[in-house]
Amino acid sequence: MSDRNLLVGPFNRVEGDLEIRLEVADGQVAAAYVNSPLFRGFEPMLLGKAPQDALTITPRICGICSISQSAAAAQALAAAAGATPTPQGALVAALLHGVENMCDHLTHFNLFFMPDFARPAYQGRDWHDHAISRFTAMQGSGLRQATEARAQLLHIVGLLGGKWPHTLAIQPGGVTRAPTARDRIRISSTLAAFRRYLEDVLFGAPVEDFIALTTGEAARNWSTGDAGTFMQIADDLGLASSGPGPGRYLSFGAYPMEDGRSFGPGLWEADSWRAVNTDEIGEDLSHAWMLGKTAHPRDGQTEPDEDMSDPGYSWCKAPRLAGQTIETGAFARQVVDGHAMALDLARHGSSVFARVAGRLLEIARTQVLLEKWARDITPEARFLEQVAVPQEGVGEGLLEAARGSLGHWLRIEGGKIAGYQIIAPTTWNFSPRDAGGVPGPLEAALVGAPVAEDEDTPLSVQHIVRSFDPCMVCTVH
Amino acid sequence: MVPVRPETKMGPVGGRQLSQIETFYDVMRTQGITRRSFMKYCSLTASALGLGPAMVPTIAHAMETKPRTPVIWLNGLECTCCSESFIRGAHPLAKDVVLSMISLDYQHVLMAAAGHAAEAALDEAMEKYKGQYILAVEGNPPLNEDGMFCISAGKPFVEKLRHVAKDAKAIISWGACASYGCVQAAKPNPTQATPVHKVITDKPIIKIPGCPPIAEVMTGVITYMLTFDRLPELDRQGRPAMFYGQRIHDKCYRRPHFDAGQFIEEWDDENARKGYCLYKMGCKGPTTYNACSTIGWNEGTSFPIESGHGCIGCSEDGFWDQGSFYDRVTDLTQFGVEKNADQVGLVAAGVVGTGIAAHAAVSALKQAQKKSQSSKEEV
Repeated sequence: MSDRNLLVGPFNRVEGDLEIRLEVADGQVAAAYVNSPLFRGFEPMLLGKAPQDALTITPRICGICSISQSAAAAQALAAAAGATPTPQGALVAALLHGVENMCDHLTHFNLFFMPDFARPAYQGRDWHDHAISRFTAMQGSGLRQATEARAQLLHIVGLLGGKWPHTLAIQPGGVTRAPTARDRIRISSTLAAFRRYLEDVLFGAPVEDFIALTTGEAARNWSTGDAGTFMQIADDLGLASSGPGPGRYLSFGAYPMEDGRSFGPGLWEADSWRAVNTDEIGEDLSHAWMLGKTAHPRDGQTEPDEDMSDPGYSWCKAPRLAGQTIETGAFARQVVDGHAMALDLARHGSSVFARVAGRLLEIARTQVLLEKWARDITPEARFLEQVAVPQEGVGEGLLEAARGSLGHWLRIEGGKIAGYQIIAPTTWNFSPRDAGGVPGPLEAALVGAPVAEDEDTPLSVQHIVRSFDPCMVCTVH
Repeated sequence: MVPVRPETKMGPVGGRQLSQIETFYDVMRTQGITRRSFMKYCSLTASALGLGPAMVPTIAHAMETKPRTPVIWLNGLECTCCSESFIRGAHPLAKDVVLSMISLDYQHVLMAAAGHAAEAALDEAMEKYKGQYILAVEGNPPLNEDGMFCISAGKPFVEKLRHVAKDAKAIISWGACASYGCVQAAKPNPTQATPVHKVITDKPIIKIPGCPPIAEVMTGVITYMLTFDRLPELDRQGRPAMFYGQRIHDKCYRRPHFDAGQFIEEWDDENARKGYCLYKMGCKGPTTYNACSTIGWNEGTSFPIESGHGCIGCSEDGFWDQGSFYDRVTDLTQFGVEKNADQVGLVAAGVVGTGIAAHAAVSALKQAQKKSQSSKEEV
């Protein structure tokens, strides 16, 4: 087999632009370089603006996870003001955010990930005809059902947030919309309809049955619904040994409420949990087209290197936790939260299979959470506290977007934004090399992926890239 | 029930043979859409465009007999919110139909092909439908540093945009990014993000601003253009008058409270619970032309003001650099409810010549068609 270099991209069915350079030797990837070719400069443009404007500007980093960005901005502002949202405000914010995350997972599975299995290259496999009818891009019956179910579920965001994408309702002190008893009923009935979709179509069984699985083996044996189709395909193609991760899983914890976070925060490594100290975060710029030194995001700057000089090869910075790469996302979140099935999968290492199975697990668990939150809405309560933004202050907003850990670091001086740094989930997962030459998580995951002699856009690479559910517009922003 | 076969009515189009002509109705049938759904779709379209029931047969006839207008959809510097808004479409049927019509050519976010195959599909669509296709642009090109901040397939997006625009019949600028620049063009505009009409100056361009635009507006406009093969009536800024003719304020359900001087003074206060006006909380409804207060968001569920937050004016040029989003509008001049953006603009600027741009755009589109047809006939 000949050695060669491949330039894979642009990737469609990915939010934003992505290009990957592959060094191929002996029929497999020997090294990968991930380039995020889109830079807009949100961090510099926030400087000098009124702090509250972050609530409107940062969501526009991304049209698919805009509520995550808006909630992180609200949290950073609240932290700077030393305030917390009202309990019911936090509850409604969680509902809004949970619905968005659910929709993102559904979009990923049906519109971005599964269509690759309908490709002609898989002709002759037992499942191929079924994959074609369910998941052919833009036409498959599964795609239509998912898009429809998602649009219905987003009515909840419409109701509570006025519009989606780019919802404005989440504020440092809570949410602008105080739901009525009537809203509560409407939300519950929308959730009931969504449960029917999940149980009839995606899982083919009660979501509780999927949540009750305790081992990777049990997940692999799941046979009903579209989830069952995925398990069958994953088994046939050996996706459980494709695209390994660094074995360190990060979660900032999802859905902050009065009594803690519904999916707990932490770092999982070598079968043990530890708390995350965000002081250990550093953004390395050695291989990014960015000027400056490695810095904590509190002190970080974003100054693009207009010469795009070597050894830089991406606009993406390289965040590291205590100097190490980490994997973040739905699977990492379920591992850190300690779900038995996720932990069992983690013991065998992260993979394309584990990431998608983790996402399915989270869909099931989120449905149960959303239903509980809807029941807990108390229309008489206060949903928003006035929060006076201070003239001087710093704040950190940490939460879990659909694709993983999202952090906003805000510094206010003289009543204006003097520093604003954002680390998005895909910034972690798709980061370039650091000063020590250590590749980012995706770059490492691609090493060893098989590339056939006649392949220019290797299928194995497509599956691995999409298993992370990248959001490139968030990555660099 | 048997539809009239299109080829009995149409001459050759785009250099293709009679038997190969593909109409909208053909496309819908191959997508499994029934006759009944098709007629329903025509009624929906008529009502969405404010055309009335008498137009339903006209739309149906056009869709049965006219060749399908191809659409190429490009993504530049953006956040994909326009695609996101679009795919949760208005009515499920409208979304299905419109998606199936535009999906056949090139759509970056949703299409099946990847990498070089996708680029090849783009070239093929451009070649096959030269001068016939509509180019829909989501996002905009950043011009700083020779366009290096947005690279697609190894080239700056601005080059791709110019290349694809060259043979387009008309251009749709989706959203605030393509229309005006949007937040990524906020001071100091680090990448020099530039709206489409400042880069492409020789094609009719219709702007559908909003961040994102309302799904129904997107499907409505594209259906109108595909059905009637012309741009809808535009205002002086190049927006379709049917959707951007009135201010949010004019049709806002909280307007009576504004008129009565009943305002929310702070978040979640007594007045907020009563649904008073958000003007003092920085609502930009009085200066924003869009259809949010009539069509609503997420299939008519609600819109930002209904969720208790003021309008930020995301369909207006420069909304991102007007001071804080929570500052009160101070340059508010009272106009009557029925004034449209042109009239207000004229009063403000004292200019005459309403609609010149709009008419020019429409005739340019028609000319572009004529030119391409006559050149085909000469061959």
